[in-house]
This record gives sequence, structure tokens and C-alpha cells, in this order.
Amino acid sequence: MLKRLFLLAVLAAIAGLGIFWWLTIPAVVAASSLPAYKPNLANGLTAFNAGGCSSCHSVPNQPDRLKLGGGLPIPSPFGTFNVPNISPDPNDGIGRWSEADFVTAMLKGTSPSGSHYFPAFPYASYEHAKVEDVRDLFAYLKTLAPVAGKTRDHDVPFPFNIRRNVGVWKFLFTDGKPFVPDASKSAQWNRGAYLVNSLGHCAECHSPRNFLGGIIDAQRFAGGPNPEGEGWVPNITQKRMSEWSAKDFSYFLESGQTPDGDTAGGLMTRVIRNTSQLSPEDRTAMAEYLKSLPPVEGPPRPKKAEKS
Amino acid sequence: MKRVLVVAGALLLSVGAGVAQQDPVKDAQNVMKANGKNLGGVLSPMFKGEKPYDQAAVDAALTQLNDTAKKLPTMFPASVKDAKWEGDYAPSPKIWEDKAGFDAKVASFTKVVAEAKAKIKDLDSLKANFPGIGKECGACHETYRLKKG
Repeated sequence: MLKRLFLLAVLAAIAGLGIFWWLTIPAVVAASSLPAYKPNLANGLTAFNAGGCSSCHSVPNQPDRLKLGGGLPIPSPFGTFNVPNISPDPNDGIGRWSEADFVTAMLKGTSPSGSHYFPAFPYASYEHAKVEDVRDLFAYLKTLAPVAGKTRDHDVPFPFNIRRNVGVWKFLFTDGKPFVPDASKSAQWNRGAYLVNSLGHCAECHSPRNFLGGIIDAQRFAGGPNPEGEGWVPNITQKRMSEWSAKDFSYFLESGQTPDGDTAGGLMTRVIRNTSQLSPEDRTAMAEYLKSLPPVEGPPRPKKAEKS
Repeated sequence: MKRVLVVAGALLLSVGAGVAQQDPVKDAQNVMKANGKNLGGVLSPMFKGEKPYDQAAVDAALTQLNDTAKKLPTMFPASVKDAKWEGDYAPSPKIWEDKAGFDAKVASFTKVVAEAKAKIKDLDSLKANFPGIGKECGACHETYRLKKG
């Protein structure tokens, strides 16, 4: 009887492992699935600015936002992520990557060696990007200067350092679906919705996260504690932003200035350095979409009187 | 009687000193709020074409920003480090940890404001020089200001 129970337990464990293994297989985009394509460098630059690549990947403490040698440490509740080199350097960057490697990284969050990236790389948003935009972005990145130097490994403790587990995270918090326009809305609104939710990855910081680090869908864009430590990321739904006009949003994305003369600080400063490079049309589109976000109550803010 | 007078005088003096010194936290907040008013209420609307260009208002705003530049180097004494900051923002400890970096940002802001003051004479020169001021605000707030709420 006991032996039989033991056997049953072993079988269940094997089945469980099998399911885990199957569930967490890193997805890839096959080169053969990408049709012949002539990349558009100008659109690649737009994707680069909309995607905010340089906010994290440019070498810290120097002014050139096109020097993508990485090295910025990103603290999080799960450990410290060290941003990798994505310059076209053949040894330390992505110089030897195939286009399919890059598309796989952006849309599936899987590395060329076939392991899961940590979601500090915001593929939960990037996965909604158009393949063409990603291919244009790859072509654009290839035109930038190679930067030598491998960056440090991530400093992420057990159990979060087991990459295979990220497959479960992906199962829970990504849907792998491309952006679908809303036919009832204008082309401009849809362009904005696309930029904000895919490349722009605004929700990655402007939403609260659960204990597994997944975005709490019901409170998307409703702000929350800064995932990188001190401070608070504001609610950008109409709950807090009702006094801003669509024009105020686009001017903020251009200049970093709020209607009351305040300026963006903290991490948003880096974001503005990118959005300020977008076309006025794209900023207007993002503004129209952001202005349309229904009011959502965010998590309670810390008491104001306290010294942070 | 003499002694009473001396004590009363000393008390009055200390009260006076207290008033003159005021609260450095409030001071800093008032200066920043005044900057915001000049950017959001005067310079931005002209830059965006929502208000007509007004040289006197521009000069007044830039003079105030210039005053801010003069105050900034001493605006965050170590005594406010652990003070209570009401409102959305507090100074980041980096102001004191990385004093050289902070001073460099202040110097850069001072320079840009002085240049703007010398150059802005009409709408075109406002359009050319105003964004630079905003960038200076953002560049310092990026590292040296904390958002609490």
C-alpha cells in the first residue's frame, strides 16, 4: 500500500515537472517565419525613441544617449538587474545577433541562447509591437556605434535566479498578442494606444504590481510605489489627471513641464529625453489616448507628512 | 528693572532673528513654487502661443529665476536633511551625498538662465531659449528631488 502511494507520488511529481517544463519552454520566432523585408531606418529611430531603449541601455553618467553599452543597475524587490550592452559590438553587444534573435528578444523575451529574459526588460509591453517596427528598430540599432565592455551579471538571489521560472511568470502575465486597433476609435487614438501600450511601455512603471512582480490589470496606469525604491509613481488615469487637457499631455511629453510649471523629475526625466524626440503627431496621439484613460483608483499613497 | 529690560530685549531679538531666519523648508518650497508659477503661468503659455508675448512679464519671470539661481547653492542646508517636507516632494539625500554633482547642476542652471535673460527679446528668441530652462529644471529634479506622493 505504502509502496503504491510512493509510486503514485513519484508519478505525480514527474507529471508536474513535465507540465512545468512544457509550460516554461522559451518561445522563439523562427527566422523562416519572417518574410523578406527592407527595413525603414527612420521608423527604426521612431521605435527607438518610443521604446525608450536609451533610458536604461545607455551608459550611465555620460551625455550620449546613443551609447548603448549598458551597465545601469536597476534595483527591484527581486534583486538588482544590470542592464546589458545592446550596442552593435560583436563581442559584448548584439553585433552577432540575427534579426530573428532580436525579434525573439523583443516579442518573446527569449535570449539568442534560448533562455528567458527577466521581465525587467519590458517585453510584457514590447510583445504588442508590430514585427515591422521591431525589424526597423534592429536595423537602426545596427547603425549606432559599437561600445566595448560586457556588463555585470544580474545580482538576483535564489529562487528568482532560476531563469526557467520566468516561464511561469510569462504564462501568468503576458498574452503574446499583437496590438489590435479599436475600430470605434480614431486612427490617432489607436496610434497613441499602440505607442503607449507596446513600445512606450508606460504601464510598466505607472501600474502597481503584485507580489510576483506582475502588473495588477485592474489598476493599470493607476500608479504605485516606485519599483526601483524610494518615491511614488503617479496615477496617470483621469482619476488624477482630469485637469490636464490632451494638449497638456503632449506638451509634457515634449518638454517635461506640467501645466502648473512643475517639471518631470526622477525616472521620468529619462523618458522625456526620448519622447521629446518623437514627432509632434506621435506625441499628440499618445496624449489623446492618455486623456481617454478612464479614472481608476490606485493603491493608497504613503502619508504625505512623513519625511520620505 | 534693568535686568527685566535686558531679558525682554534679548527675547525680542531672538524672536526677530527667528522671524528673519524663517523656516528653510518653507523657503525652499516657496522659491520652487514661484519658479513653477513663472514657468507654468508666464513663460510656457507664451511659448505655446496661448498668451501674447509680453517683454515686461518675461523680464520679471527671468529675474525671479535668476534670484533662484543665486539662492540655490545655500537653499538646502544640512539642517533640512531630516526635516519634515509637507507636500509631494522632498530633496533627495543625494544633494548632500553628491554635493559636487548638485553644485554642477546649479551652476548649469545659473548659466542657462543668465543666457536666456540676455537673449530673450521677442517670441522667436523665447522659443529658442525657453526649452533649455525647462531641461535644466528636469536635469536637477531627475537626481536631486524625490517624489513622495
